[in-house]
Amino acid sequence: MNERYTNPYIIGVILGLILLFTFYTMGRGLGSSASFARIATAGVNLVAPEHAKANAYFSNYLRGGKSPLMAWLVFLTLGASLGGLFSAFISNRIKGEVARGPSIGISIRLWLALGGGILSGFAARLARGCTSGQALTGAAELAVGSWVFMLCIFAGAYAAAYFFRKEWL
Amino acid sequence: MGPLYKFGWFDVVYSFQLAGLIGFMFGFVLERAGFGNPRKLTAVFYLRDFAVLKVIFTAIVVCILGLLYFSVFGWIDLGRVYLLPTFIWPHIVGGLVLGVGFVMGGYCPTTSVVAAVSGKLDGLIFIIGMMIGSVFFAEVFPMLEGFYNSGDMGAIRLTDVFNINSGIVAFLVCLVAVGAYWIVEKVEQKFGDRDTLPKGSPKVKRTAAGILILLGLILAAVNPDRITAKSVVPEIKPEKQVEKVQQPKAKSQTPDNTGFKIIDDEGC
Repeated sequence: MNERYTNPYIIGVILGLILLFTFYTMGRGLGSSASFARIATAGVNLVAPEHAKANAYFSNYLRGGKSPLMAWLVFLTLGASLGGLFSAFISNRIKGEVARGPSIGISIRLWLALGGGILSGFAARLARGCTSGQALTGAAELAVGSWVFMLCIFAGAYAAAYFFRKEWL
Repeated sequence: MGPLYKFGWFDVVYSFQLAGLIGFMFGFVLERAGFGNPRKLTAVFYLRDFAVLKVIFTAIVVCILGLLYFSVFGWIDLGRVYLLPTFIWPHIVGGLVLGVGFVMGGYCPTTSVVAAVSGKLDGLIFIIGMMIGSVFFAEVFPMLEGFYNSGDMGAIRLTDVFNINSGIVAFLVCLVAVGAYWIVEKVEQKFGDRDTLPKGSPKVKRTAAGILILLGLILAAVNPDRITAKSVVPEIKPEKQVEKVQQPKAKSQTPDNTGFKIIDDEGC
């Protein structure tokens, strides 16, 4: 597998310019996690519309009777999946696999991915955003909560890293 | 004058198309960096490869400088940029939990998308997990609502906490960034695999660090807050600077003189 990646400083500069462009055109930053909350809301709304409308948090995404998927961030995430696909395609990195360290089995890795996803989905809603929507965007605006949030992500991950070392190393 | 959307340069349909384009670039650069690979991402937590920290920090510094220079030049009205409000307790707890989720699952939300489209089943499972987590959050929201809204400090910035102007904050962030790069490169040389770590000439790095600090120093001397406060109140002509971006089809409205106004928006 091709693991020759672009220098992180160059990526950082380009990502900063993309974020600046987003602020300049839209007056807001990047984001991602809310689109998954919206997709989940659309799913719940499909199965149990009364339940979704009665819920204080879901109903937030259903305001005005519009589809919860007609949102700026959903289109951003759609674009991100295409951009990621294009980049992986041109550098020959598309491969069906379960990414993991050498000393862990496939099934436990998938359970940990599910668990990590559940924690992340929950935490991103609690903190009103994830690494991109809250940490990156807010830090660039010098928002206090976003800086605290970002430091806490690193703190939480470093604190837990020891327990998951067999998953990655 | 930006933000273009807030001044009526284009409608919501075009903004969705723009979101697709911005997202495409976002996903593209994340994959270029190797952020569709969870071992690359989590290596930062085992001190082996600090690409995650370098990318995030560099992007933040570039964007801070960009926003402040744009505002000094009168290209953007920062009062119309949606400023994320601070709810300190949910931010602390949410950050800690997200960090655990990151090292456990191997991804953060956007990188899992990039992983899933490049064929990684664990990335797809992570996304399904995020949706379950979101639904769970919504189901327990009535119980959490008090905590969710606790520690409300409003839309405050580091400038308010330290009581210094944003130019000086930007300068300090530049200094911290250069210091952090220097430290993490020492650390990853010690613990990481030298063959896979990015190379780069020390001369280029020193020059780039110098430019960064110089840009921060200029901002600290200029004090962007003083300039924006002055430029917003007398109505300057916003049409002049932005001609090259797009022909104004919709009527561009002039900024009102309320100074730093927070436009309500969905932040994340």
